Amino acid sequence: METLVLAASWSGQLAAGLGVTLALAALSIVLGTAVGLGCALLAARPGVFGPRLVLMAAGLVRSLPELLVIFAAYYGFAFLLQAIVAPFGVTGFVAIDAFWAGVMALTLIHAAFCTEVFRGAFAALPPGPIEAARALGLRRVPVFWLVAWPLALRYALPGWMNLTIVSLKLTPLVAAVGLQDLLRTAGDAGRNTHDYLLFYLLALGIYLALAAAIGLIQMRLEARLTRVWAG
Amino acid sequence: MPSRLLEALPLLWQGTRVTAALFFWTALLAPAIALPVALARDSRSTASRRFGHGFILFFRGAPLLVVLFLLYYGLPQVNALRHSALWPLLREPFPVAVLALALNSAGFQAEIMAGALRAVPLAEVEAATAAGFSRWQIFRLIKLPNAARIGLRSYGNELVFILKGTAVVSFITIRDLMNAATEIYSRTFDPITPLVSAGLIYLAMVAAVAAVVRTMERKLDPLLRAAWRGRRSAAVMVAISRKLAPTVH
Repeated sequence: METLVLAASWSGQLAAGLGVTLALAALSIVLGTAVGLGCALLAARPGVFGPRLVLMAAGLVRSLPELLVIFAAYYGFAFLLQAIVAPFGVTGFVAIDAFWAGVMALTLIHAAFCTEVFRGAFAALPPGPIEAARALGLRRVPVFWLVAWPLALRYALPGWMNLTIVSLKLTPLVAAVGLQDLLRTAGDAGRNTHDYLLFYLLALGIYLALAAAIGLIQMRLEARLTRVWAG
Repeated sequence: MPSRLLEALPLLWQGTRVTAALFFWTALLAPAIALPVALARDSRSTASRRFGHGFILFFRGAPLLVVLFLLYYGLPQVNALRHSALWPLLREPFPVAVLALALNSAGFQAEIMAGALRAVPLAEVEAATAAGFSRWQIFRLIKLPNAARIGLRSYGNELVFILKGTAVVSFITIRDLMNAATEIYSRTFDPITPLVSAGLIYLAMVAAVAAVVRTMERKLDPLLRAAWRGRRSAAVMVAISRKLAPTVH
């Protein structure tokens, strides 16, 4: 009973923290998917230099610790901005918002992994339907949107859904640059009430529930897509 | 800039050693946790299967940082633990970090191991059964070597994730490479030099892990091993057979 009252007294702050976590995850997943899809398409284009550069950049981001990317987005980007505005007489310390630095870093990471998922999906496409669409006289853009993309989506979906869970699980790292997200709020609550166990378990439960929800959506979507596939 | 980097080098070196030590102990502990979980996941007993599934679901869904904080800040509240023999170990940040990293990775490793064990050709297991091998012999001589070959690629990926994951330990006051980089930043107010240096060191470590996994791949595969010893034509044959393999099954 006592613990319930304790947890309830922090419910407002925790809900706000959860909101920040969800906003951060949603924004970086949407933006990262768009960038990743763009990179996968760039990598599939003819040419040697461009595609290689894209793949190398994606590989680089995938190899670096996520925390380092977040620090680079927060401190490094502010430092660069400072260097850019210095010639115009602005000499103060430039700081960027922790939330947007987090969005930038997680978008980059999500995009780097998405590039690989979408590239694999496009590589796995059977050549038949695309050749058939070409033979019917469809142009490149309709071939992509009407034939290649819907097919590729089926191959990409499991990997993409896994990435959304990965990105959700990366959001607590942005607390390192001061973002008041769910985990940081749980930490504050733990410090104030001397009950870290309760609030970290609560946070863990919420993260697990979110991951389970994404997993359920994945199962539903996969069933739906394969039903169309079979029919 | 170069003089700053020179001053920072001892700190970076110290951090690199701590990161390497974390990686080493985690890479040792994680499979020791993961293999029993993988076996439980596909065992005959329903209770074991439930435990295996639960463990994998739990640690694949739990953010690493949450597990780390829960163990580091939450465990000391458990009185039974504070009076146990394990307490001197769980009081220190380093073993707690290794435990958190290992548990987090074990969820993924167990899934890789279970998948690889299931992918062992049934015919080989049947042949061994017909030849009178015991269950333990089949596991040790047929299933494990085969599964190691099948799962090695994914396992290598997982090792890279462990290495990248070690960076979060700076949250619980361990002076690893990431911590060294932020420490240098707070001394010099220049974020670029330490972050780029640390990034390059992490990249070199990832490349080293990948190289070790590639060597292991060659050593574990008898065909590739033979090809490595000599004939180039054999290497080409192996490359072709590898390309064909997924369509043959």
